[in-house]
Parts: sequence; C-alpha cells; structure tokens
Amino acid sequence: MATEHRGAGRRANVTLLSRALLAVVMAGLVAVIVRLRGSGGTPPHRGGWRQLSETDLEPMDQA
Amino acid sequence: MRAVLVGLGAVGARSARQLLSSKSVSELVVLSRKPALVEGRVAALGATGVVRLEQLRPAAFAQALAGAGVVLLAAPGPGGELAAASVRASVPVVSVSDDPAEVRTLLELDGEARRRGVAVSAGAGMAPGLSCLLAAWAVTKMDEVTEVHVATLGTGGPACARRRHAALREVLDEWRDGAWARKVAGSGRELVWFPGYSGADCYRVNRPDSLLLTRAFPTLRAATARAAASRRDRFTSRLPMLRPPHPEGTVGAVRVEVRGRRAGEAEVVILGAAGRAALLAGTVAASAAVRAATGRLRPGAGGLASLVSSPGELLAELSERGVNILTFEGGGTPAAW
Repeated sequence: MATEHRGAGRRANVTLLSRALLAVVMAGLVAVIVRLRGSGGTPPHRGGWRQLSETDLEPMDQA
Repeated sequence: MRAVLVGLGAVGARSARQLLSSKSVSELVVLSRKPALVEGRVAALGATGVVRLEQLRPAAFAQALAGAGVVLLAAPGPGGELAAASVRASVPVVSVSDDPAEVRTLLELDGEARRRGVAVSAGAGMAPGLSCLLAAWAVTKMDEVTEVHVATLGTGGPACARRRHAALREVLDEWRDGAWARKVAGSGRELVWFPGYSGADCYRVNRPDSLLLTRAFPTLRAATARAAASRRDRFTSRLPMLRPPHPEGTVGAVRVEVRGRRAGEAEVVILGAAGRAALLAGTVAASAAVRAATGRLRPGAGGLASLVSSPGELLAELSERGVNILTFEGGGTPAAW
C-alpha cells in the first residue's frame, strides 16, 4: 500500500516536471517568434526627402 | 604633402582615389598587410610615380611617417599602435574604424594629441563619421540638443560586414536619460525610412556613435545607434558568417535624427545620405584626412563632431564630391525612439 502511494507521488512529480519543461520550451518558442516576426513601426504617411544644396549647407554654421 | 594610407580594401581604395584628387596630396604611400593582393587596385588608381605600395611592417611605417602630413587607417584590426606612433611623430591620424574598442583606444591619445597639436579623428567613415557631421550640422540649427539617433543601412566592405555581424550580437552601452545603459544588440526594433530606399527594420548595434556624440554634445540626454538587419542577420549573428561578404560592399545609407529645442520650442531635424557605403566612408575619410593635414581639424582625439569647427563647410565639400546630403521634411514629429 505504502509502495503504491510512493509510486503515484513519483508519477505526479514527473508529470509536473514535464509540464514545466513543456511550458519553458513553449515560452522560448513564442519569444523567438515574437523576436523575429513583426515590424518596428509604421512608415511616414507624409513628407519626403529633399536634397540640400551647397548653399543650404554652408550658411548654417553662421546661423 | 605625403599621405600614408594603411589598408586598400573597399573603403581604403575609395579613400585613395579621393586623396589623389585633392590638390594637397602629392604623394601617397599605401601600406598593406598583403600587398600582392592589392597590386591591381594600386594600378587602377592610375597615378604612376605618385603612389607607392609597401608591406605593412613597423620599419616601413616608421619610414613612411617621416615627413608625412597625415595617416589614414583604413585596415581592419587594431590600429592603436600605429595611431600612437603617428601622434608621437606629430602626424595627425584619421581612422575609419567603427569598432568601439578601437575607438576607445584612439580616444586615449587625446592628451598626447593636444600637447602635440595634432588631430586624431576616430570613426571617420559612414557611421560614425558622416553621421557625426550630419548631427553637428543639425545642432547648429538648435539652441540646445537633447537626442541624436543614428541608423545605417549596408556595409562598406568585407571588414565592415564582419564588424557589423559581430556588432549585432554584442552587449553595448547606450546613452539614455543622461547615463549609460547596458543593452543587448539586436533589440529595440525601429522601422527607419532611409533616403533612396524604402523602410528597413533597424536594431541596436555595438557601434561607437553614442560614445563620440556624447563627447561632442554634453547636453545630450539620449544617443543611440541602430543598423538595418534582416531576420536571417539577427538569427545567425551568433554563428560564423554563413557566406563571404561582398568584396566591394553594398549600397548604403545613413539617417540621423536630432532632437532639441529652438526658441523654446521642440525641434526635430532629420538628415540622411545614400550611396555605395564604401564610397560614402572613403570620401568622408579622405576629406577629413586632408583637413587634418592642413590643420583644419581641432587638436585632440574625438569624432568629427568634436574636431570639425565648421560642419556645414565640410558637408558642402562632400556634396561637391558626390555625397548627396538630404533632409526629411513635412513628416511631422516622429515617434519617440
């Protein structure tokens, strides 16, 4: 009777350990997916790049 | 004036071409670890009698230093000893390295460089380098600068690509809220809109931009450095490079966002440049070298933002040499970094 009780307790421990391990692996996988997927923001909806001429650049030092 | 160029890779070759097009340079000594590999590149420069190629050895370097006007370090690997020898000989130094460890070594020469009245320009490539100049110019539009955020795309040559590969996996120091904060490279994703290119996701990298910018602008509260990277780049950053980098590098771009205050109002200036990364870096390095040789950089060791007294003038010179400087206008205030 006591041996059966110890066996059931060990099985419960093993189950708990394997579930914890599974949870850690799943969390790791989710972290990898979150890290690798997705985008870092939204593109600008207005505005644009304008080339600065040499005269644009030079007088600014004196401003 | 004799210029000494150490390294003739993708960036070094562009620097050599730019140096030879300068009226100030009458002789160019190229020192290479493997001269046999770069003989073709030297011949392609087409400056017979002006360019001399030698193997990089202490004796050859010491001989080249005698009477030289400037030393341009464009080779991968530690250049600290070469820079120290140059400063001892009162010859200014320009380095294109974007390795934070090497930049720190160069910055340690500050005292000696000031005593001898020569400039040691650390990080004079695309970023840091052009990025520092763009930031310095934007700062002239403000009463107070509080944040500088630098993002880059592309690499100059194989050595730059290897450095970027390492920079994506290292731990880095980022200037946040007026203090250094330890961050992991590959984190902090931001979608960045580069000139001449669509948006690219950028991540923190271990580059010395923050270090150089905080020295130049003591009022900064934040200074960050990011680089565009794909999922594969980040996933494989902890592995050896899976395929060799392109010998001539890639198309590149740099974007600098400067935040501050002007007349009591918040001000944001976004500047950028695009082109072949090696060409951008080589042009900046050569222009800085000519300025250093002609005494137009402040004495001491630092980034270009610290050493150049007139960033607009140098940017105009770069523009004349084909580096298009752009500003992003009409986009409203971007989100916080």
